[in-house]
Amino acid sequence: MLPVPTSHSPALGPGCAGPSLAYASASTRSDIAPPSAQQPCCGSEPFMVDPSAAAGLGLRRHTDTPYVTGTSVLGITYKDGVMLAADTLGSYGSTKRYKSFERLAKVNDATVLGAGGELSDFQYIQTLLDELATEDYCADDGMQLTPREVYAYLSRVLYNRRNKFDPLWNSLVVGGLEGGVPFLGTVGMIGVHYTDKHIATGFGQMLARPLFRERHRPDMSEEEATELLHDALRVCYYRDKQTTNKFQIAKVTAEGVSVSEAFALETQWGYQAFVNPAANALGTW
Amino acid sequence: MSGIGTGYDLSTSTFSPDGRVFQTDYAQKAVDNSGTVVGIVCNDGVVLGVEKPIVSKMLVEGSNRRAYAVDRHAGVAVAGVAADGRQIVNRAVQEAVSYKNLYGDAIPGRVLADRLASYVHLFSLYWYSRPYGTASLLAVYDDDGPQLYLIEPSGAGHRFFGTAVGKGRQAAKTEIERLKLHEISCEQGINEVAKILHSVHDEEKPFEMELAWICEASGREFKRVPAELAAAAERQAKAALADSDMED
Amino acid sequence: MFRNQYDQDVTTWSPQGRMHQVEYAMEAVKQGSAAVGLKSDTHVVLATLNRASSELSSHQRKTFKVDDHLGIAMSGIISDGRSLCRYMRNECLNHRYVFEAPLPTARLVRQVADRAQVCTQRSWKRPYGVGLLVAGFDKAGGKLFYCCPSGSYYDYKAMAIGARSQAAKTYLERKFEEFASADLDTLIRHGLQALSASVTDGELTKDNVSVALVGKGTPLTLLEDADLEPHLAALADEVGGDGAGSGGAMEEGGGADGASAPPAAPDGASGAAEAAPAPEDEPPAPMET
Repeated sequence: MLPVPTSHSPALGPGCAGPSLAYASASTRSDIAPPSAQQPCCGSEPFMVDPSAAAGLGLRRHTDTPYVTGTSVLGITYKDGVMLAADTLGSYGSTKRYKSFERLAKVNDATVLGAGGELSDFQYIQTLLDELATEDYCADDGMQLTPREVYAYLSRVLYNRRNKFDPLWNSLVVGGLEGGVPFLGTVGMIGVHYTDKHIATGFGQMLARPLFRERHRPDMSEEEATELLHDALRVCYYRDKQTTNKFQIAKVTAEGVSVSEAFALETQWGYQAFVNPAANALGTW
Repeated sequence: MSGIGTGYDLSTSTFSPDGRVFQTDYAQKAVDNSGTVVGIVCNDGVVLGVEKPIVSKMLVEGSNRRAYAVDRHAGVAVAGVAADGRQIVNRAVQEAVSYKNLYGDAIPGRVLADRLASYVHLFSLYWYSRPYGTASLLAVYDDDGPQLYLIEPSGAGHRFFGTAVGKGRQAAKTEIERLKLHEISCEQGINEVAKILHSVHDEEKPFEMELAWICEASGREFKRVPAELAAAAERQAKAALADSDMED
Repeated sequence: MFRNQYDQDVTTWSPQGRMHQVEYAMEAVKQGSAAVGLKSDTHVVLATLNRASSELSSHQRKTFKVDDHLGIAMSGIISDGRSLCRYMRNECLNHRYVFEAPLPTARLVRQVADRAQVCTQRSWKRPYGVGLLVAGFDKAGGKLFYCCPSGSYYDYKAMAIGARSQAAKTYLERKFEEFASADLDTLIRHGLQALSASVTDGELTKDNVSVALVGKGTPLTLLEDADLEPHLAALADEVGGDGAGSGGAMEEGGGADGASAPPAAPDGASGAAEAAPAPEDEPPAPMET
């Protein structure tokens, strides 16, 4: 590949012996642009999406940024199973471009999938899962993928794609019921995956998770769980500008999978600070 | 069979002097010797029925499947060599998947039938392969409505209102011709198919019946006929058979 | 010279619509020593008879673990069986990697059978010369399949394959209705009893028997050597107390033996192997596939 200094590792800093890293950086190559806002300084290259693109070789840029995106997905377990919630916005940058994009999808009779991030990648993932579901249908042996298997499969797919430096730009939440036990897991675009009793992706990790930690119990009733999700969605809507007030809730119970019609939540914008936003910021607005 | 002993019947790629490819005829023989498979198009869907001889009492009931779904909207019942049949089914599944990946929609029946026939035909062309010993009845429900196709070992494919292959095909076809297919629904259709399969099964050997359909009742998806309905059809068929025996 | 000109090639159909080469491959299964499989509601058991070709050699392994939930027993050309076994292990491993779950038995068996079918349709191949009994326990419960060289597979409650397996089959056919509710030890004993019916000289010992079992909460386990002793001892007691069961099966075994000489088989091959049972699992010239 590229010539690499072996005496020290640029990732660890000068003078530190470390594993030789096969990438180019401004410290090893003069033809590379110096650090900037778009290109962080030395040592962060391994965490960038496509080193070849970072190295200015002009290769593959199409995976650098997502285009139409969805924001957080929330998920909690409760007494009867699992509930997922998300809004229906497909953002084009900061533009609220697609307002009725369903980001919660049924996978099979016991599994539901929610997605944030690049929505075309999500649609692609849906075709993958649909193919698997059809395979199960054709086998006609009464077996279908369990939520845990869907979750394992997705983590393999996303991790594999990330290793090809062509990631599927999604944060996924898999929910389902397996032998009467709720399952809830999440898979990130670089293949990080974990299960928990409650899960939120993206901004929801900061906004909804604290609420979940405070109020979530595995033995919540359906009403309690719905109310908790409503509150969490409301917080997300207030504080995350990529959210719109049009939500769906998906449910997996012993009766099967159901994805609700889109609904809006009641919101309160009558605060004094909203009425006269410049009052406390003299000279700016 | 004028081919025997002449040497013109040993290879798939050999014509006999009078223009026959005996190897495909012989493959068809394997189909003709197998359990009967019946397919009919009713006014709201397609019914497929298979007669399966039970070779051992230690077999699990309902095993040795002969009718397979190849997509939600299509299914195949095979007569002849079961192992060959599975390959054709596999190919049908692949065709359905690849069509969907390319065009984003379910494969139409005529396209699937066409592609399957081409696939089967491929094996009747070269010295290094043998033709499939399987005839496939393909049931599809697409935008053009319910359809039934038959694909033979030679690669010939035809669309039918109703047909039968296997041992009892002649008698079965006569029975099918008597039915007013446009006037009956699939719910009645399964009874007729059950009756036909029971009547053409003349030996005392035990057999199992496999019924599959695609119609409004199955949600336009290719499915096995629900156990209760299949059992009712079987009872009714046996009763009808007993009645006609009495009359004789 | 040729009795039959349609039996030289896998790609030739006979005028009757038969495939002679495939039928001959099925005969190869009968050349190997017997393998027995049976299942209850909770467990599946395989048992094989192992024969060493000489006092100085070991026997060839005929029972294999494929995965935690799945094992196979085979009869015929064992080298063919081992390559199928490797394929099955690979498929199970891949499935575990992708889904973190065991591969359902029925789906694996179908894949194996599809692989076997391909060998019956290409002129440069020969069919596998091995029969596989596949035991698995998955979401669908206990499963026992017989996978044969023609590419067919059958879902059985109990089955026996290999030399003189007709005797074992007779035993199983008489008893299989009891198996569903049997506990594991009883099931193993039935397996051994069936197997003993296909032994003509000598008896079952810990040296010539292998057992594989799998079931609910029990990963696939191979029982060999000392592990078998309690079961063989119990079997001996049973035979001592109730000689009618196995004795009857033995007789039928003797009668059915002749039936396993295939009418359609080429001269020499089967007859010779039947007469000299020693090199049973080493048929002439096994090829790499």
